[in-house]
Amino acid sequence: MICQRRHAMIQIYAYLLLGLLFIYPAQSAHFDSLKPAAKGQTVYFNAWGGDAKINSYINWAGDIIKQRYGITLVHVKLTDTASAVSRLLAEKTAGRDSDGTIDLLWVNGENFAAMKRADLLQIQPWVTHLPNWQLTDPVALPAILSDFAEPTDGKESPWGRAQLVFAYNSEKLRTPPRSANALAQFIKNNPGRFTFPQPPDFIGVSFLKQVLIELTKSHPSLYSPVDDADFDAVTAPLWNWLDAAKPNLWRRGTAYPQNYPVLRQLLGDGEIDIAMAFNPADASAAIARGELPDSVRTYIHNGGTLANVHFLAIPFNATAAEGAQIVANFMLSPEAQIKKADSRIWGDPTVLSIPRLNAKDQAGFMALPRGIATLSDAELSGSLAEPHPSWIPRLEQAWKKRYASGQ
Amino acid sequence: MIISGLLMFLAPILIGVSGVLLPAAGYFPALGFTQFSAHPALSFFDTPGVGTAIWLALKTGLIATVLSLLCCFIILTGLMHYRGFALLRRTLAALVAVPHSAIAIGLVFLLAPSGWLMRILSPTVTGFTSPPDWSLIPDPHGWGLIFGLMAKEIPFLLMVSLAAIATLPIRRFENIGSSLGYGRLATWMMLILPLIYRQIRLPVFAVLVFSLSVVDMALLLAPSLPPPLAILVLHGFLDADLATRLPASFGAFLQMALAIAGIGLWSVAEAVCSYSLQYFQRGGWRLHILDRCLPVFSTIAIIPIIAACAGLVAAFLWSIAGSWFFPSALPQSFQLIHWQDVGSYMKLLQTSLWLAGGASFTALLVVLAWSYAAPESTLNNRWLLGSIFMPFFIPQISFLLGMQISLSHIGLDGTWLALIWVHMIFILPYTWLIVIPARQALDNRLDDVAATLGASEWKRFTRIHLPLMAYPLGTAMFIGVSVSMALYLPTVFVGAGRINTITVEAVSLASGGSRGPAGLAAMLQITIPVISFVIIHWGLRYRFGRFSGMQSGRLQ
Repeated sequence: MICQRRHAMIQIYAYLLLGLLFIYPAQSAHFDSLKPAAKGQTVYFNAWGGDAKINSYINWAGDIIKQRYGITLVHVKLTDTASAVSRLLAEKTAGRDSDGTIDLLWVNGENFAAMKRADLLQIQPWVTHLPNWQLTDPVALPAILSDFAEPTDGKESPWGRAQLVFAYNSEKLRTPPRSANALAQFIKNNPGRFTFPQPPDFIGVSFLKQVLIELTKSHPSLYSPVDDADFDAVTAPLWNWLDAAKPNLWRRGTAYPQNYPVLRQLLGDGEIDIAMAFNPADASAAIARGELPDSVRTYIHNGGTLANVHFLAIPFNATAAEGAQIVANFMLSPEAQIKKADSRIWGDPTVLSIPRLNAKDQAGFMALPRGIATLSDAELSGSLAEPHPSWIPRLEQAWKKRYASGQ
Repeated sequence: MIISGLLMFLAPILIGVSGVLLPAAGYFPALGFTQFSAHPALSFFDTPGVGTAIWLALKTGLIATVLSLLCCFIILTGLMHYRGFALLRRTLAALVAVPHSAIAIGLVFLLAPSGWLMRILSPTVTGFTSPPDWSLIPDPHGWGLIFGLMAKEIPFLLMVSLAAIATLPIRRFENIGSSLGYGRLATWMMLILPLIYRQIRLPVFAVLVFSLSVVDMALLLAPSLPPPLAILVLHGFLDADLATRLPASFGAFLQMALAIAGIGLWSVAEAVCSYSLQYFQRGGWRLHILDRCLPVFSTIAIIPIIAACAGLVAAFLWSIAGSWFFPSALPQSFQLIHWQDVGSYMKLLQTSLWLAGGASFTALLVVLAWSYAAPESTLNNRWLLGSIFMPFFIPQISFLLGMQISLSHIGLDGTWLALIWVHMIFILPYTWLIVIPARQALDNRLDDVAATLGASEWKRFTRIHLPLMAYPLGTAMFIGVSVSMALYLPTVFVGAGRINTITVEAVSLASGGSRGPAGLAAMLQITIPVISFVIIHWGLRYRFGRFSGMQSGRLQ
């Protein structure tokens, strides 16, 4: 039933896209008309700033954008994307419908859904006008049109792909546990050697979803709004799993790392045996920087792991909306996407469709070195779809209720 | 005059507080809440772990303040007349200038189970080849936060105490004490310290309120399950679900109540101490035995200061480390890659510098103008003083959130004007404490002589007053820059992400896992206070050093 609905949606979007192809020259002209207005603008790009390699990638993009378009890109480093959503709301509350403080926002999932609900996005769709949108393929990668099952409505431009990947030190751990059940056994046998980022951290919640999906064998109600489901019954296996694991977690489950870079650091320090990231190349990049020992390798669970797409959105009251669109288009360009996919730089998989690129850009992607710990595309093929975003706040709350008192 | 002062200093804070009180009472029209209700309060108290969070805040705040004051007094009693004290004094001045977050970053690097200390002791002493699963920094009971606060507040309290001591005939008191057969500790405890305490009571309250509601240090050093109250409130405000702002506002109100309760508890403790002191005094105990323990006490009391310095060294090591895996005591390889990146921090450093300099200078001008324009009675007006020192008594989080909404309403958030104004509000009490006494201590007779020689008022100001007050003014600038550099929450909320300082960057880098960049950011945070210290200190010495009578109020 859900699959049918999804297929119908994809079809509709495919037709839309086909139509777009015909009006492409007009769109391109529209885009070009933005350039004079964008010149000299300062684009305040609000993006999570907890990872040095992502920050320096954004820095690199900013330099090129400055040269080419005369736009100044300022990276506002967030510790939590929700804080930007919250700021936008404060501005809307104050009646500030223009001259907002945020021009471009790195976002997906629950935060995008919250922005959509509160009308915090640009009113007009803008993404399909971007010339580089033509290089994506929504049929092959439907997730660029539906963000955690929430239609993007052309109001956020795809930036990169993510898949939950686990990392372990192959010198200390011979065979990593490749399923939620095997992980439970591992935790039991190795007290204090596993933990996950503290929800509501993005990766932390993703880990909860991963375990929930595995234990319930992708329960169908996970893919529709949570209010339609019996939350307690569906999630009971997850809480049983966590209750059993808790006494044997790192710090006996009384403390959790605040985000995945801290988790990665714990693996590097040898405090834990398994870390996780939403980026297949994260471990390789950390090895290259000397943050992880070169014996670290990655794996995913046999039943597949969560995968999603992350986006760039422009708020309703952006001061430099034109500049922001040009930045989003640049971020979607083969040049920027190749650089981003390079595990020495960031290692974030591309959202572009390789067959749609010209020969030179295709070769550019092919020439990228695969990091020492990065899995091949074939090994990464097992992916699980994100549950409906409405599950996230409920999972966060329920987790908090059970474990946040620290007892 | 008073009214204008009140408006200038008090209005922003009142606006901020009301911006929190209304939502706390259930009124937030923009979100469709137009009816007052107890719902925000109820749902805040329904937050998991809220009781622990409040208890944690109260506990860490009170213990940190008590221990800081105790250590400060022990150091004064035990070390004041030793030769090494001059060195300690300079270290203190430098530490006062180091932002809280830089100290916190350093302490995490030093004391965590995988920290430098454990690396030095492992595996030779401890036998560990991988870090132990111990809950050190952050620990569940908040001792890490208490220790961090102490590392920052002991130097601050020592500095204000030394300023107070300058006004007291310490040697004479000591001679009287010893001639009556009292031990050193007894003399200080019964005679000198009460006099010092009377003068530093206000800064102690500032330390108390700050410790009860600290955010930047708590983000790095406090437990997270649950965190102290202030962090819980901050999370509520940053939640993507906007309705959580109402209960969070109630939390901010609760934080204010907690600060008042903390001051209340403190006052009770003051009364108890004063009573027991009288008992001691009447008892005539000489307490000579305790003097033997004084070196031990003093050593223990300076541990937080030593740890803070060692932590900063660890931060420096991380900024140049290539890979540094446990348990090696020093990095296995070194690299300058982070320092090569220093160019990308230049803009942040510039912003910090302009902001700190601009806000401190404005505060200086405001206080100077007041000291000249207002009659002395006005300067002692209770309401005026109350409003100037308000930032000492109201937790930052309790009014900044409301302030952000109000500023956003008039389109002033994220502007330099607003940010300099807010920083100035925080700097002003310190400037006031330094400049007003200096101004009142000016010898009027010099003025009269100059006037009879025909010097105009302006000339007397520039040629006599300014040079005479050069040291206190320089000190005020230095303290102002240090205070501004340390401000995290005000910059986050009023800067609206548009104006960022190196301190905000450092906290965000340190809460991510990248130790190299975090170490570098901590180093960069220190540069501005250190540079301003050097400029002001040496500049003044170069210009005025030959006038021996002009040493009062000079940088300690």
